[in-house]
Amino acid sequence: MLKVSHINTFINRKKIIKDVSFQVNSGSIVGLIGPNGAGKTTIMKTILGLTKFTGNISVEDKTVTENNHAALTRVGALIEHPAIYPFLTGLENLKLYSLDEADMNNIVSMLKMDAYINTKSKGYSMGMKQKLGIAIALLNKPQLVILDEPMNGLDIEATILIRKIIKQYAAQGSAFLISSHVLGELQKVMTNVLLITEGKIIVDEPIDEFNRVSRQQYHLLTEDMPTTEKLFAENQIPVTKSDDYLVIPRKLSDQVQELLYSHHIRLVELSPQGLNFEQTVVSLLQQQRRQSHEK
Amino acid sequence: MKKSLYREFYKFGHKKLTWFAPLLLLVFMILISDYPSNRLLAMMTYDSPDAIMIILVIVGSTMFSMEFQNNAILTLLYKSPRTLSVYLDKFITIFIYNLILHGLAIIFTFALAATINPVSWFAAYQYHQPLIVNMFLATGVDILTTTLIISVVFLISTLINSNAVVVTVGLAVMFFGEAISSDLTRGSSALTSLAKWNPFNMTMLTHQYVNYAGYYDTTLLSNAQLATGALAYILVFFACGYLIFRKKRF
Repeated sequence: MLKVSHINTFINRKKIIKDVSFQVNSGSIVGLIGPNGAGKTTIMKTILGLTKFTGNISVEDKTVTENNHAALTRVGALIEHPAIYPFLTGLENLKLYSLDEADMNNIVSMLKMDAYINTKSKGYSMGMKQKLGIAIALLNKPQLVILDEPMNGLDIEATILIRKIIKQYAAQGSAFLISSHVLGELQKVMTNVLLITEGKIIVDEPIDEFNRVSRQQYHLLTEDMPTTEKLFAENQIPVTKSDDYLVIPRKLSDQVQELLYSHHIRLVELSPQGLNFEQTVVSLLQQQRRQSHEK
Repeated sequence: MKKSLYREFYKFGHKKLTWFAPLLLLVFMILISDYPSNRLLAMMTYDSPDAIMIILVIVGSTMFSMEFQNNAILTLLYKSPRTLSVYLDKFITIFIYNLILHGLAIIFTFALAATINPVSWFAAYQYHQPLIVNMFLATGVDILTTTLIISVVFLISTLINSNAVVVTVGLAVMFFGEAISSDLTRGSSALTSLAKWNPFNMTMLTHQYVNYAGYYDTTLLSNAQLATGALAYILVFFACGYLIFRKKRF
């Protein structure tokens, strides 16, 4: 469906996205997550041919370039803010992009917008505008839907509704690339994780695999934590801090024990921990930041 | 292209100003029709060129700014097959609106001439042609002048996102263009031959066409030269505006 190969994106001659490659397959819901300024929105804009880039982007084997968007005819997107003209009604805003009236009316009903769809959109609340923006992205049975922070301004009912609709569209074959700061919400729908920081993808795997690996962490406590941290840094052992503990990858637990023993540091606790999704993301980002800093 | 052009017309047709402007044009022409010099006024479709130019500056400046203000530019760009079509569609839309305004100005002129200020349409007037031919040709010439103003407004719109600034600069070109051009062409003789080709000079095309003696001393160019210059500047401003729009980051 969507193939992104070795893209580099430049803004004011500064490289923002660095050699990023990934794929989004039909029916999958890919969660694009990362800290502020990581490059999530820039990646989305690049896919839509809205920024200068090198590398290759194709949708259904049709190439997207900065000035040729012909490959995007069946792509829907909501980037940054909903694109709504206040002098038009909600329905007129949809009509601007709709190719199929029945599909448009179906989306209006599905998103429960019937009550206000014929009123001028300048009077809409933030949540109503957001729903209209999502409706525009879902028009014309898109093969690929790109949503940047879709849950912004939505109340709980609308959030649940949008989640259900995303799953429904994915079941029918649409592919989704969604970015959100609300990781809990994203976790409930996504099938794949794409973790990005400093313009680079550091994780690209199915959510099940991500969750399985995320549980393979150990919490470590010693009698002399400052020396332990120093020792780990010297031996390039990736650790993160969690309260009073150090979190280490399970696969390094034997190496860590040997190291502590050889330096006469007494181990107080070494226990397997199941990090939740958010903790794992934070832990991975911290590791990446530290590695970048060391370089 | 067809779909993106339809979108532009759809948006344009749903703006109140689009429909309100012809009424303003009519009121302006009625007020002007009270002045003497019937034949000159009839040839100038009751000074509609100035009113149309103001309308086009105001309407044209909102064509890009509404996209920026409503966060719609990204959607518009990716939904359009090419970046060029976004720029071109907007240009075509306002150009057609320009033609409609001129068409309405002719209809209003006939109505005013038949009721308030009767004129003899088939009597010879300027350029040894009947007044009616003068009027149609002056309208044709004004379409060229106003298209030049549209290309200037579009160029400014790609540089500045603020609607108010674009309107101000557009009106300044319109009202002060003559004075600036006059200053430029009055310079030393070596520079005058070059300075007379400045773009401000071309904005006087319509005025010179209806009052050749009054304007030739300022422009130092014939009507044909002004028309050629206007056409060349339309192409230059359009190309520059598009290139800036293409390079612009959103």
